[in-house]
Amino acid sequence: MIVVGWLDEFMWGSLVVLQIFFLALIMAVTWGLLGAAAKLSSNRAAKLTATVFTTIFRGTPELLVLLIIYFGSAITLTSIAQFFDPEVKFVDIPPLWAGSFAVSLIIGAYATETFRGAFQGVDPGTVEAARSLGISSTKTFFYVRLPQMWRLALPGFGNHMLSLVKDTALVSVIGLEEILFTADIATSVTIQPFTMYMVAALIYLGFTTVIMYGVRLMEKRANRHLEGGR
Amino acid sequence: MSFDIALIIESVPKMLVGVGITLQLLFLSTLFGTLLAIVTLLMRIGPFRWLRWPAIAYIYFFRGTPMLVQIFVIYYGLAQFEFVRDSFLWPALRVPFWCAIIAFSLNVGAYTAEILRGAVQGVEKGLLEAGSALGLTARQRFIHITTPIAVRLSLPAYGNEIISLMKSTALASTITIFDTMGVARTIMAQTFKPYEVFISAAIIYLVIVWFIQMGIALAERRFGRYMKR
Amino acid sequence: MAQTEQDPIIRLKNVDKFFGDFQALKKVNLEVFKGQKVVVCGPSGSGKSTMIRCINRLESHDGGRILVNGIELNDSLRNIDAVRSEVGMVFQQFNLFPHLTAVGNLMLAPRLVRKKSKAEAREIAMRYLERVHIPEQADKYPVQLSGGQQQRVAIARALCMNPEIMLFDEPTSALDPEMIHEVLDVMVELANEGMTMICVTHEMGFARSVADLTVFMDAGEIVEAKPPQEFFENPEHERTRLFLSQILSH
Ligand SMILES: Nc1ncnc2c1ncn2[C@@H]1O[C@H](COP(=O)(O)OP(=O)(O)OP(=O)(O)O)[C@@H](O)[C@H]1O
Ligand SMILES: [Mg+2]
Repeated sequence: MIVVGWLDEFMWGSLVVLQIFFLALIMAVTWGLLGAAAKLSSNRAAKLTATVFTTIFRGTPELLVLLIIYFGSAITLTSIAQFFDPEVKFVDIPPLWAGSFAVSLIIGAYATETFRGAFQGVDPGTVEAARSLGISSTKTFFYVRLPQMWRLALPGFGNHMLSLVKDTALVSVIGLEEILFTADIATSVTIQPFTMYMVAALIYLGFTTVIMYGVRLMEKRANRHLEGGR
Repeated sequence: MSFDIALIIESVPKMLVGVGITLQLLFLSTLFGTLLAIVTLLMRIGPFRWLRWPAIAYIYFFRGTPMLVQIFVIYYGLAQFEFVRDSFLWPALRVPFWCAIIAFSLNVGAYTAEILRGAVQGVEKGLLEAGSALGLTARQRFIHITTPIAVRLSLPAYGNEIISLMKSTALASTITIFDTMGVARTIMAQTFKPYEVFISAAIIYLVIVWFIQMGIALAERRFGRYMKR
Repeated sequence: MAQTEQDPIIRLKNVDKFFGDFQALKKVNLEVFKGQKVVVCGPSGSGKSTMIRCINRLESHDGGRILVNGIELNDSLRNIDAVRSEVGMVFQQFNLFPHLTAVGNLMLAPRLVRKKSKAEAREIAMRYLERVHIPEQADKYPVQLSGGQQQRVAIARALCMNPEIMLFDEPTSALDPEMIHEVLDVMVELANEGMTMICVTHEMGFARSVADLTVFMDAGEIVEAKPPQEFFENPEHERTRLFLSQILSH
């Protein structure tokens, strides 16, 4: 089989995908929490900013976001660099970072809505009960609200993680050597496009399957306390 | 670096030509994809076990892999096979536009089938029991009770799916289709002014999304007259 | 401010509370002494919940003064937390933490507020679960308990903080009739042990047998406050009479 010779390249590509996945995941959770906090705050400006953020990043094609971030940052950086040194031709943010950042903004916009919904889904009575026991508001957040939010946010957030891992395929467009890029190269050498792109597809299918089962396990854990309810 | 307003004014009309292609991609894929979803749903929840597995496998594959990879498999990949090149479908399969339509439709079909399944399962059991008590057959219950309620239940998720498809059509630009995104990328390659070009494109997409959202809200009101808010 | 035996442990002086333009409490005055049991009743929307929620500052009052155990309730965070750890509260809807077991619900505040070790907190928790007669339910989650059991867990949760005062907001209204008595029994036991209690309830049997003072509220005002004997046999105000005739007739 011709694929075997390319397996190590595909493995390196997969590692790149994992890198983007985790980088973007951390950033997306951050944007999501900040966005949700802003949307729930009473500060008008914060609310408006968060709404603009979610509207833009949920309403524009992922590819477009990626290209704006990558080429936009590149042209900005280049002109700044040329200001100091006219010899400079082109400066860009490494595609790995530009790609992770772009993907994280998109997923972060969706996560904002998920986190906000989860925050509002927590029974306010339990928060009052904690406050009436003299538990401080910070501790109430971490010990009472967050564990309940987690359960409510998991199904939505699981879907966001699936979108995230699939969105990493886009980053090949800005030249990052991940799975799809590897398939491109392998195709041009072997002239077996179906085989190579299918390999890429199956690797992604592996990733999404793992995430799906992982989320299912976490949901089971998070819902332990609802089993055998009356 | 300065912001080139003239370029925006110049490129927006060019992109509007691309909008036509974007809308064609959107419309045709929604149509074919929804039909495919209904067939898949019936296979998935129907009485025949041997029809269930292909439906499950199809849904699993298309929901579990990136759209861009699917497009490449169909557009570049199928040509690897002699029998595909010899078949009567080849004239369509070598055209990027139709390959994109096929990829998008298959994708929408898989997602929508799951949305519809969720909606069908979300119909209250009591209503179906009431139907049986009145002597309706299983088929009549499905057509007259399950279907109308499930349609209403699935609308919000279906709407999100259409918006998500609209954004995905931008991927068509990777196989040389000059949709909105394709035109934007061409102008960008000529001018290297990413902000002006891509932000104009983004605004166009946001406007289209806004129109779709209005349409969905209308449909929800139309189909949901009997629902309490 | 020094606290003497004669001073009331809770004192509300001309307390006002507004929700927007709506005045939920109008110049409410109330004094509760250590060990006293006060039952509050009145029609829906009369401000009963609002009043007791002000006492541990789940709501902040807009006028007048509230003193609990000699501490003035104002915007000082330290005062609020001090008061809250002295005052236990039991809610109509139980408000148990759904993600924690019964014993976990009881352990949370001792651990976070009193900084007890896990073992200590568990020991305290088990002691109070025994007091409300459900030690065998310790490791169940709230959804796996009956309403009466849930409310007893909620009472035990409040008791774990060793409060001087317990506030109850219609603790039995969300319960099926057969479960009401198991919660009332626990409350009577608590009363007999000398706990200071303010209890919003329409269980008039409980009021008669336990209360030292019965308070009737209507439209944000305390209309009448008397020992139960007088209150039931000789209500002074027309509104009280009307209310009593309604709830006692069924
Ligand atoms: N958070 C709030 N915002 C606005 N109005 C409120 C709020 N909480 C209570 N109110 C109003 O204040 C009034 C008193 O409410 P409260 O809950 O104290 O009544 P209650 O006597 O406990 O009634 P119930 O027997 O129904 O529990 C009511 O008219 C209620 O509508
Ligand atoms: Mg009340």
